[in-house]
Amino acid sequence: MDFANLAAQLNTGVILPEGIVLVTLMVVLVGDLITGRASSSRWSPYVGIAGLLAAIVALYFQWTTTTNPISFLGAFNGDALSIVFRGIVALSCAITLLITARYVEQSGTALPEFIVILLTATLGGMFLSGANELVMIFVSLETLSISSYLLTGYMKRDPRSNEASLKYLLIGAASSAIFLYGVSLVYGLSGGETRLSAITTSIVANNGEQSLGVVVALVFVIAGIAFKIAAVPFHQWTPDVYEGSPTPVVAFLSVGSKAAGFALAVRLLVSAFPMVSEQWRFVLTALAILSMVLGNVVALAQTSMKRMLAYSSIAQAGFVMIGLIIGTDAGYASMVFYLLVYLFMNLGGFACVILFTLRTGTDEITEYSGLYQKDPLLTLCLSICLLSLGGIPPLAGFFAKIYLFWAGWQSGAYTLVLLGLVTSVISIYYYIRVVKMMVVKEPEEMSDAVKNYPEIDWKLPGMRPLQVGLVVCLVATSLAGILSNPLFTLANNSVLRTPLLTPATIAPPASGTALLDQPSIHSSNSTLGG
Amino acid sequence: MLSALIWVPVLGAVFIALLPESLVARTRQIALAIASAVGIWTIILASQFDVGIPGLQFQESLPWIESLGLTYQLGIDGLSMPLILINSLLVWIAIYASDPNINRPRLYYVLMLVLGGAVAGAFVAQNLLLFFLFYEVELIPLYLVIAIWGGARRGYAATKFLIYTAASGVLILAAFFGLAIISETNSFDYDVVQSQVLPLTTQLLLLIPLVVGFGIKIPVVPFHTWLPDAHVEAPTPASVLLAGVLLKLGTYGLLRFGLGLFPEAWTEIAPWLAWIAVLSVLYGSFAAIAQTDMKKIVAYSSVGHMGYIILASAVATPLSLTGTVAQMISHGLISALLFLLVGVVYSKTGTRDINVLRGLLNPERGLPLIGSLMVVGAMASAGIPGMVGFVAEFIVYRGSLPAFPLQTLLCMVGTGLTAVYFLILINRVFFGRLPESLANLPRIRWQDRLPSIIVTVLVIVLGIQPSWMLRWSNVTIQAMGMEEVNRLVQVESESTRLAETVGDSESVRRLVESTETVPLTSMTNPNSIAFTPGKEAASDKSTEPLGDRLIDNSLPHSKLKPNI
Amino acid sequence: MQLEYFLLVAAALFCIGIYGLVTSRNAIRVLMSIELLLNSVNLNLMAFSNYLDPQGIRGQVFAVFVISIAAAEAAVGLAIVLAIYRNRDTVDMEQFNLLKW
Repeated sequence: MDFANLAAQLNTGVILPEGIVLVTLMVVLVGDLITGRASSSRWSPYVGIAGLLAAIVALYFQWTTTTNPISFLGAFNGDALSIVFRGIVALSCAITLLITARYVEQSGTALPEFIVILLTATLGGMFLSGANELVMIFVSLETLSISSYLLTGYMKRDPRSNEASLKYLLIGAASSAIFLYGVSLVYGLSGGETRLSAITTSIVANNGEQSLGVVVALVFVIAGIAFKIAAVPFHQWTPDVYEGSPTPVVAFLSVGSKAAGFALAVRLLVSAFPMVSEQWRFVLTALAILSMVLGNVVALAQTSMKRMLAYSSIAQAGFVMIGLIIGTDAGYASMVFYLLVYLFMNLGGFACVILFTLRTGTDEITEYSGLYQKDPLLTLCLSICLLSLGGIPPLAGFFAKIYLFWAGWQSGAYTLVLLGLVTSVISIYYYIRVVKMMVVKEPEEMSDAVKNYPEIDWKLPGMRPLQVGLVVCLVATSLAGILSNPLFTLANNSVLRTPLLTPATIAPPASGTALLDQPSIHSSNSTLGG
Repeated sequence: MLSALIWVPVLGAVFIALLPESLVARTRQIALAIASAVGIWTIILASQFDVGIPGLQFQESLPWIESLGLTYQLGIDGLSMPLILINSLLVWIAIYASDPNINRPRLYYVLMLVLGGAVAGAFVAQNLLLFFLFYEVELIPLYLVIAIWGGARRGYAATKFLIYTAASGVLILAAFFGLAIISETNSFDYDVVQSQVLPLTTQLLLLIPLVVGFGIKIPVVPFHTWLPDAHVEAPTPASVLLAGVLLKLGTYGLLRFGLGLFPEAWTEIAPWLAWIAVLSVLYGSFAAIAQTDMKKIVAYSSVGHMGYIILASAVATPLSLTGTVAQMISHGLISALLFLLVGVVYSKTGTRDINVLRGLLNPERGLPLIGSLMVVGAMASAGIPGMVGFVAEFIVYRGSLPAFPLQTLLCMVGTGLTAVYFLILINRVFFGRLPESLANLPRIRWQDRLPSIIVTVLVIVLGIQPSWMLRWSNVTIQAMGMEEVNRLVQVESESTRLAETVGDSESVRRLVESTETVPLTSMTNPNSIAFTPGKEAASDKSTEPLGDRLIDNSLPHSKLKPNI
Repeated sequence: MQLEYFLLVAAALFCIGIYGLVTSRNAIRVLMSIELLLNSVNLNLMAFSNYLDPQGIRGQVFAVFVISIAAAEAAVGLAIVLAIYRNRDTVDMEQFNLLKW
C-alpha cells in the first residue's frame, strides 16, 4: 500500500471544514505570538469568524456535492446529518465569537487565547458530530470537554469561575470515565469492533438479539451522553457552571456543546444500539420527562438570569429529546430544526445578558427592572428571544415547538407531547417575568443598576460585533418561524439523505413510549377508524 | 381583502414603533387613523358581503408551511362577519377612549393595534393552526397592556390572565392535534378536517378539551376567576376590548370548532353545556350583587351574560344560534358601553366604590350625561324592550326553551338578577344627594362622551331594528344549525307566535319563514353534493309527512354535519 | 487465565473509583479516583483486546488514547486546582460553596 493509495482511501476531503477551523486556530495562535497582544486582540476575533464562516461554506459545498461520506477508514462519517450538526456547532461558535470580544476585553484577560480554546472546543464538537468510531468519539468528546473546562475557568482570578470550572471538570471527567467504561463493554461485547456500523452486527452475532451486557453498556453510555446534553438527573453541573463561568462560554456550552451531544446521541444510539432501542427509548423518555418538569419548575425559583437560563436550557433539552425518542423522520427533522432555532434564540438571549452585564456588572433578574427606559434595543431583543424560548407565536420558537410536538403526536407519544405542552405554559411564566421586569416597571421602580446605566456607546472596541450578533439573532428569531420552509427543508433533507436514519423509519415508531402511552397509535387508529 | 384586516393594524403598529421622534406626539392621531382605515375597510367588506351565501366569502389561500399542514387560509362567513364589524368598531373606540396623555403612548398604541389585528386574524382564520396562532398572538399584547397601564394589582391580574389563557391554548392545541392526526391527510385546513366522519367517542374525546379550553376564555364558571381580576386591573380601553371581542373568541371558537366539527358529540354534551351555562349565569349574577366595585359588577355581569351564549349554542337550532350571534353582538356593545362609563366615572371621581359614590346624576355638578347613559346601559343589559339586550335574550330564550326548559327558566332568573345588581349600582352611584367630596368634578370632555354615545346609539338602534345585526348571519346559521325533528316542530309553532310578539322585528319574521321552508336542508349539507341526493330531493323532504322526517333523522352521521 | 478475571478486577477498580469519587473531600483525591476509573477502563480494553481481537489490537490502541487523554485531563484538572488554591487557600470540596446547588 503506497502513500497515494492510502491517502485516497482516507478520503480526507470530508474533513475539510475541520481543517479550515484547525488552520484558523493555528493562525490565531501563531499570529498572537508574532504580532503581540495589543494588536492580536483586535484582529483575532475576525480571523476566527472568517475561518468559521469559511468552514460553513465548505460544509455547504459538501452538502450540495454528494461524494463518499465515509473517511479515515470508517472513523469519520460526513453524511448529511453530520453536516447539519457541524454547521450548527460552527455557527454557534461564530456567533459566540461575535459576542465574546468585548466581554473578554473588559475582564482583562487575553482574547486570542480564549479564541484558540473556543475554536478547539468547536473542532471537538464538529468532529464529534461526525465521529463514527469509538476511539474517534472518545477523542473528540474529550477535545470538546477539556477545552470547555478551560473556558469555564478562564477568568482565573475569579473564585466563582474557578469553582465552576473545578466542578465541571470533576463531574465531566467522571461522567466521561463512566461513558468510557460503557464503551469498553461495547468493544468487548462486539468481539473487538470499534466502528459503529460494525458493532451492531457483531453484537447480534455474538450475543443474540438481546443480552444483559448490552443493556449495562447502554446505561453507562447514556449516562455519558445525558451529561453532555444536561438532561435531568445528570444536570447538576449545569446551573453552577452557567452561573460561575464567563457568559460567552455559557452561550457556547448551551448551544454548541449541547448540539454536539445530540449529534453523538443520535449516531451512537441509532447505529450501535438498535437491538435495545426499546430500552434506550424508555430511558430517554424518563430523562425527557424529568428534564422538562424539573427544568421548568426549578427555573421558576431562580433569581439569577444565568441560572434561570441554565434551567431553561435543561428544559429545552427535554423538548429536543422528544424528537430523538420518537425516532421517525419527522422526529429527527424537527429535532434538527429545533436546534437550529434554539441556536439563534438562546445565543440572542445570552448576547443580551452579556451586554447587560457589561454595562451594569450584574445579572440578577430584579436588576433588569425598568430597562425599557434606558435601552430599548436590548429590551426588545431580550424580550423577543425569551418569548421565543417560551414558544409565543409568531416567533421562531413557537414553530419549532409545534413541529416537535406535532411530530411527537403523529407517532403517538401523547404523554410526552402533553407534558411538553403543559411545561411550556409553566415556562412562559418565568420568561414573561423577565419581560415584565424590563418592560412593565415604571421609571420610579427602576433598579439601581439601571438608574446608573451608562451611555449607550457602540463605538467601544468589540461593541460592534456584539451589536451585529444581537441583531442577527433578533432577526433570525423573529423571522425563522414565519419563513421556516427553507430551514425545515434543510432539516428534512438532512434526515432523508442520511442512510443511518432511514432504517429508523422501518422500526416501529414510539416503541419506547408505547410503554407509557397505551394504547399505541396502531390500536388507537383502528378504534378511531371503526 | 381579508388580509388587510390583519396586516393594516400590524403594519401600522410597526410604523408607529419606527416613528421618528418628531412625530411621536402625533402617535394617537396616527393610531386613530389606522383604526379608522380598518373600520372603513370593514364597512366596505360588509357592504360587499353577500348575505345570501351560507359558506365562506372573500376567501384567501396561500401555502405557508406545508410540512406542518399550516396554510394561510382566510375566509369570512355570517358567523364571523358581525364579530369582525364589532372588533373594528371597538378597536377604534378603545383607541379613541384612551387617555390622550397616556404614559408611553408609542408602546400602548402598538400593542392595541397588534391586539386588534390578531383578534381579526383569529376570526377569519380557516386553518386550525392559523387560528391557534392568532389566538396565542393576542396574549402578549393584552398581557402587557394590563401589566403596564393597569391598576394596583395589575401584575397579579395580568399574569393570571396569561397563565389561564395559555392553558386554554394548550387544551385547544391538543384537540386540534388529535383531530388532524385522525384525518389521515395530517391537514389542519378547516374544510378538510370538517369533512371527516368520526365516531362519537372520538368526537367526545376531542370536544371536551376544546370545550374546556374555550370555556376558560369565555369564561365559564369555574374557570372564570381570571376575568374579574383582569377587568378590574385593566385600563378602560383594554376592558372594552377584553369584554367586547376577546371573550367572543371563546364563544366563536366553541361554535366554529366545537359545534362545527363535532356535531354529534355536541348534542351529547349539550345538556351539560346548558347546566354550565346556568351555573355561569347564576354564579355571575349573584357574585355581581355581592360586589362593591363598579367594575367588578360589570365584570361579573359579563360572566353571567356569556352564559346565555353558551345556553343558546348548546341547543344549536337555527333560532338559538341566531340568539348566540345576537347575544354576542349585544354583549359586545353593552359591556363595552358599561366599561366605558365606569371608566369615565373612575377617571373623574377617582373611585369605583359604590359605597362611596352618591348622586352623580346631579345635573349641576355631577355627571348627568354619563349617568343617563349608564341607566340606558343597565336597562339594555337587564333586557328592557327596545334595546339590543332584549332582542338578544329573547331570541336566546325562545331558542333554548323547547330543548332545555328548566335550564332556560333558571337563566331567566339571571336576567332578573341583572336588573337587581344594576339597580343597586345606579341607585347608589347616581341617585341621591351628591356629597361635597364629589362636587366640582373635572369637566367631561367630548373625548369621554363620544365613544359612549356611539355605542348607546347602536344599542338602541339595533334594539329597534335587530335585522340590521342579524342579516349577516341568517343564512349561515340556517346552514349551521342542527335540529332534531321533534324539536323543530315546537320551534315552528312557537316561532310563529314569536313573530307576533316581536312585531316589527323583520329578521325574526324572516327567520321564522326560513325555518318553515328549509327545515331539513339545514340538517343535510347543501353545499357538498356528495352527501345529498341533490337539492331538490332535500327540499322535497320538507313536504313529506312528519313520520318520514323522523326516519330521516336517523341518517348517517355525515349527513348531520352542519355546513359553516 | 480467563477473560472474566480481568473484567472482575476492572469492575472492582471501577467501583473503588466511584466510591472514592463520592466520598472524597479533597479535590486531588477526586482526581485520583477519576484516574482509577480510567485505569479500570484501560484494563477492560486491554483484556478484551487480548482475548477477542488479537489481530486488530484496537483495544490496545484505544488504551493508548485513553492514557494520553487522561494525562491531559489530569493536567487541566491540576491547573484548575492550583488556580483555585491560589484564590481560596484550600482544595477542600466542602468549602467550594460560592455557587449554590
